[in-house]
Amino acid sequence: MKTFVSDESLNAFIDGEYDVAESEALIARMRDDAELAQRVGTLRSLQSMVRLAYAEPPQTRSWRSGVAPRKQFVQRCAAGCLILLAGLSGGWLLHSLESQRVAVAPMLMPASPAGSNGGFEMVSLMREVDPGKVMLHIDSAAPDKMKTVLDQAEHYLDQAEQQGRLIQLEVIANSHGLNLLREGVSPYTDRIANMQKRHANLQFVACSQAVARLKGEGQHVVLLPAAQTAPTAISEIITRLQQGWTYVRV
Amino acid sequence: MTMITRFLTGPLRPSIEALRPVLYRIAYAWCHDPVLADDLVQETMTKAWARRAQLRDEAALKAWMVSIMNHCWLDYLRSRREFDDVDDWEDRLESGSDSPEACCNREQVIACVRAAVARLPIGQRQVLTLVDLEEFSYAEVAGILDIPVGTVMSRLSRARASLKNMLDAAAKKHADQPVLWSVK
Repeated sequence: MKTFVSDESLNAFIDGEYDVAESEALIARMRDDAELAQRVGTLRSLQSMVRLAYAEPPQTRSWRSGVAPRKQFVQRCAAGCLILLAGLSGGWLLHSLESQRVAVAPMLMPASPAGSNGGFEMVSLMREVDPGKVMLHIDSAAPDKMKTVLDQAEHYLDQAEQQGRLIQLEVIANSHGLNLLREGVSPYTDRIANMQKRHANLQFVACSQAVARLKGEGQHVVLLPAAQTAPTAISEIITRLQQGWTYVRV
Repeated sequence: MTMITRFLTGPLRPSIEALRPVLYRIAYAWCHDPVLADDLVQETMTKAWARRAQLRDEAALKAWMVSIMNHCWLDYLRSRREFDDVDDWEDRLESGSDSPEACCNREQVIACVRAAVARLPIGQRQVLTLVDLEEFSYAEVAGILDIPVGTVMSRLSRARASLKNMLDAAAKKHADQPVLWSVK
């Protein structure tokens, strides 16, 4: 008569707790006892499913198997050092650029008193600001801005003349700033003409796009004889920047 | 020199570190909380490193570390104060988990089995995972959890019976999903 095999025994069998003789005896019984074989199969399935369920547990933090924390630490240190180095060298580079700019800046000091200098933006793509190539950009019709841009231009030109330097200077006008170069609108028609006569290397450039827009609005636009045109002010500014000019926005 | 170092300091750090994935798997199967499992593993590794001189037999390193983790886990459970009687916790059911439901593809089977294991009493869950996941012998599990071998066998038997019932119930809900029992 067959004795009932307990679950504990079957578990011990599938978990490899039986020795060879015990295992063979049970396997022999399973051949004749389908129900027993099924119970063993069920337990094995359960075991497989538990193994599957935890084969890839969800990971949380940055550690991964195979990478020791020490190694990670070293890697992080190395990365940190690199970033620090990059920051330091970047800072040094900027600092040296800044000091170069400061060294040249006196040559491009604005004409107006120090207190009203805040409105100027100076941009150059070059490592060293070239005081010999300067463009002044005006996009406003405010009278003080118009006066400033002309004052500034004359100041640079006079300064260069006194120092015996050659200087190329462009006054670029677009948007509302175009009024500076419009016949009958500009309050400085005579002054501009005089400046033009005095300084051969001074140019006034008007933005064709701004002219076209004003004409599109039905306005009659006639530019001063001194004024040249560029397709757009922006393209002119970018071209000049690429040629090493310094941009000053008034 | 290496031999002397090993003799004096016990297992070197790499062999402890190499057990991290094993410990994490077990810890996760016990608590089903990745963050808590990570903490348990970290605490275990720290304690194991501090006590490395106590380990006499390096072959038993894994069982020794799991035993340390078991104590960390018990400390955690006690700190939650959910078990007034410490001897009683082993048969207490964790009621927090949802019952296993849909089991029709691989991901669902995994989720389903995890949910079922999470519902097992903690004592049963520990025995089941140690035997199934790491293939510890019953004697080793008895040593790790500090319980008699007979208790290991009875808990394992009850754990698998409960697991089967839970998964059968889940499978009945999806009678047209026979894949549940075809997973190997």
